[in-house]
Amino acid sequence: MKNFLKRFYLIIILLFLYLPIVTLIVLSFNDTKTMGVWKGFTLKWYQDMFSNPQILNAFCNTLFIALLAAVVSTVVGTVACVGIMALSKRQKNAVLQATNIPLLNADIVTAVALLLAFGMFGISLSLGTVIFAHITFCLPYVILNVLPKLRQTGTIHFEAAQDLGATPLYAFMHIVLPDIMPGVFSGFLLAFTMSLDDFIITYFTRGAGINTISTLVYSQVKVGIRPTIFALSTVIFVIVLVVLLLSNFLPEKAEKAREKAEKEGRELTPEQRKKRRTAKRIGAGIVAAAVVAVCVLASPYVGAMAGKGEVIYFYNYGDYIDPDLISAFEAETGISVVMDTFDTNESMYPIIEGGQVSYDLVVAGDYTIEKMIENKLIQPINYDNIPNAANLEPAYMEILASTDPGNQYMIPYTWGTVGILYNKTMIPEGRITSWKDLWDPELAEHGILMMDSLRDTFMVAELILGYDMNTSDPDELQEVVDLLISQQPLVQAYENDSARDDIITESAGLGMIYSGEYLYCLDENENLDYVIPEEGTNVWFDCFVIPTNAKNKEGAEKFINFMLDAEAGLATFNYLTYPIPNAATMELIDEEIREDENVFPSQETLDLCDRFHYLGREADQVLASYWKRFRGN
Amino acid sequence: MFKKKWLTAPYLVFILCGTVIPLLAIFYYGFTDQEGHFTLENITAIADEEHAKALGLALLFALICTVVCLLLAYPVGLILRKHAGGRKGLVVFILILPMWMNFLLRTFAWKALLANNGVLNGILGSLNLDPIRIINTPAAVVLGMVYDFLPFMILPIYNVMVKIDNNLIEAAYDLGASGKTVLTKVLLPLSMPGIISGITMVFVPAVTTFVISQILGGGKIYLIGNIIEQEFTLNGNRQLGSGLSLVMMVFILISMALLNKFDKNGEGSII
Repeated sequence: MKNFLKRFYLIIILLFLYLPIVTLIVLSFNDTKTMGVWKGFTLKWYQDMFSNPQILNAFCNTLFIALLAAVVSTVVGTVACVGIMALSKRQKNAVLQATNIPLLNADIVTAVALLLAFGMFGISLSLGTVIFAHITFCLPYVILNVLPKLRQTGTIHFEAAQDLGATPLYAFMHIVLPDIMPGVFSGFLLAFTMSLDDFIITYFTRGAGINTISTLVYSQVKVGIRPTIFALSTVIFVIVLVVLLLSNFLPEKAEKAREKAEKEGRELTPEQRKKRRTAKRIGAGIVAAAVVAVCVLASPYVGAMAGKGEVIYFYNYGDYIDPDLISAFEAETGISVVMDTFDTNESMYPIIEGGQVSYDLVVAGDYTIEKMIENKLIQPINYDNIPNAANLEPAYMEILASTDPGNQYMIPYTWGTVGILYNKTMIPEGRITSWKDLWDPELAEHGILMMDSLRDTFMVAELILGYDMNTSDPDELQEVVDLLISQQPLVQAYENDSARDDIITESAGLGMIYSGEYLYCLDENENLDYVIPEEGTNVWFDCFVIPTNAKNKEGAEKFINFMLDAEAGLATFNYLTYPIPNAATMELIDEEIREDENVFPSQETLDLCDRFHYLGREADQVLASYWKRFRGN
Repeated sequence: MFKKKWLTAPYLVFILCGTVIPLLAIFYYGFTDQEGHFTLENITAIADEEHAKALGLALLFALICTVVCLLLAYPVGLILRKHAGGRKGLVVFILILPMWMNFLLRTFAWKALLANNGVLNGILGSLNLDPIRIINTPAAVVLGMVYDFLPFMILPIYNVMVKIDNNLIEAAYDLGASGKTVLTKVLLPLSMPGIISGITMVFVPAVTTFVISQILGGGKIYLIGNIIEQEFTLNGNRQLGSGLSLVMMVFILISMALLNKFDKNGEGSII
């Protein structure tokens, strides 16, 4: 009975540890884009994975970084251990304390410390900074594994070998190293694992276009995760598992047979010996194969690093461009596009302002662009390189010219409104008319989603209170914050792009959403409807801009020109379902959709609306402090 | 023994550039304002209402998480000591294995499991049981923390446990000790280095996490880690972010002091 309980307990703990892993593996075979329910078995995510350059790139980066960091830290760490043995007691203590720091330090502190140090020395972020950071936090694991083994081994054999005429290096390689090998191996393994699993440190120290699986997942968490990434991690998990099982346990088993034989004082039977040799060979073979595989995988990347050709670094919202258009552009021009993603204007701006990462092209919201112009972070665009700019709808260009005279800095990519998406099966059609409905306790049981975006979230409360959406008056903002705090108990979650998945899967009944998501969501769940509330809303433009520190301005302009083509505009509309300010594209869109006022609001509705503006540095700080007051509550 | 002190040189370079200088950089930013003048404001800002609240919440969650991890892990250590003493490789392997499935995805999987229309509620529904609604609540965040950090509690405890000499236990029984006495007077004191090491390995990352609260908290739970992250990524206020990070370093110093006191020989390392 007691044993049964013990076993039962262990099984419960194991289940707990492995439940999420099993879930992910199962979901990677699930035939639906939005997770939740089982919709049948499919292998299509595995196919998708191999045709998605972004995912393959992240895969290569992850393994490349982990392998390099693990190898370097193993070599440096093992060598250092030998040196540490020679230190005086006090020196040794100092070094070991320093070794403990990265282990005990919070990841986020280590990460920002490295980021600040790179900044102080003017080192721009790149793959190199990520690898350096990884080596730094991997080293302690190696030291802690090797040092005890080295202590155990002692010096007698080493000295004996030297007495017999071996050079110190030879004696180390042939006498000491085999003895401490288990420690070196587990140090390597742990370093590799920690590097593979790291997110926070990579997130803060990566350069433009450097994505590992972790950072890719993080950007997808906000947009709504796709099963391709589950497929990818399943593949990695299985590869590492198989490699380690075979390389670790086969030789160990054979080793045990040998030890047993030795103990019993008999020779191995020829059969056992043969088995042992094969096991060793298989083990070594698998390790070698894994190393070769990783090198092959990493080679295109290393090639690109060495300067494969023209590249543009593109910073865009998550899932905000048709990937086929990027491939088409690359095929047409031979310029490769490396894209990073962000989720709100507020999180993009400090990256561009910091300048430690440089991009050639950025998609940004109009009010943030005003701020970028004022702080000279972006440069005028050369229209000579963009003949397709003639396709742009003049009415919109005029609106934008009010804050960017002569349309020098920004070229609109998409536009839209913010409204409420709701499920008609839960909430009767026509029931939602006002922003106030998001405060309705009756509707809260269906699940209300709010945006986690400073200006958009504040706007809702500002409009309800009858204030200007561009206010920075502290008294008004305090009321806004109070109103939003009073709503908190009713809100299921504050999220941006991932809100659409929750509404599609009916985990939530209504929520704030950008108008462009409406058609996409309707496609996935026909019970949905979109409303622009009677108080009005924000009309926004997302535009292409070119940062001042761009390295390939012409390439960026070529890309803008490509995107303004009528057909490319149509592809963008079909993929994003966001309105495109492109007159030539509009002619290609089905009339039925063109007349859908949810997507293309009438002039009457637009007259109710306003645009966000940049309010100046001080007002920005006021907004930020009230935002924190609200979010921290 | 090898009399080659200079072999530590490459490592010392990494310690200097990768650990010491970056920490100095944090100190520099933490104690200066945006114009570069000396100030204590970034440190005292921890007392601001929203910061203090986030820190308090983080400490509370981390404390619950650490206690739960300890309660779950200690029996595992006891059971494994008796039954898996010789299979250390396998035990470590099983505990580290989940880390090859990306950390963010493992956390995200809990979102899929716990969602209102999620996997667990689907199972509960088919059994005609009431659905659980804990996603986007503190309970979900603490669950995620326990899940992510449990191996870091089990490993050090297990490592200390397997080193305890069986003869000591038998001697205690021979001298008439009850099972309870053996546990409290022999096993517990001897496994203290592992317990302390486990506590620091769990508490520090739990108190500073921002990812778990973000994924499983539905944007409603703000911990001090979220504040620090946002000072860097959203508000672009490196000085304040550094100041708050320095406050977090207090916990690291406490950990180091605890480890020096209880685990001088590093017996309770996670390896």
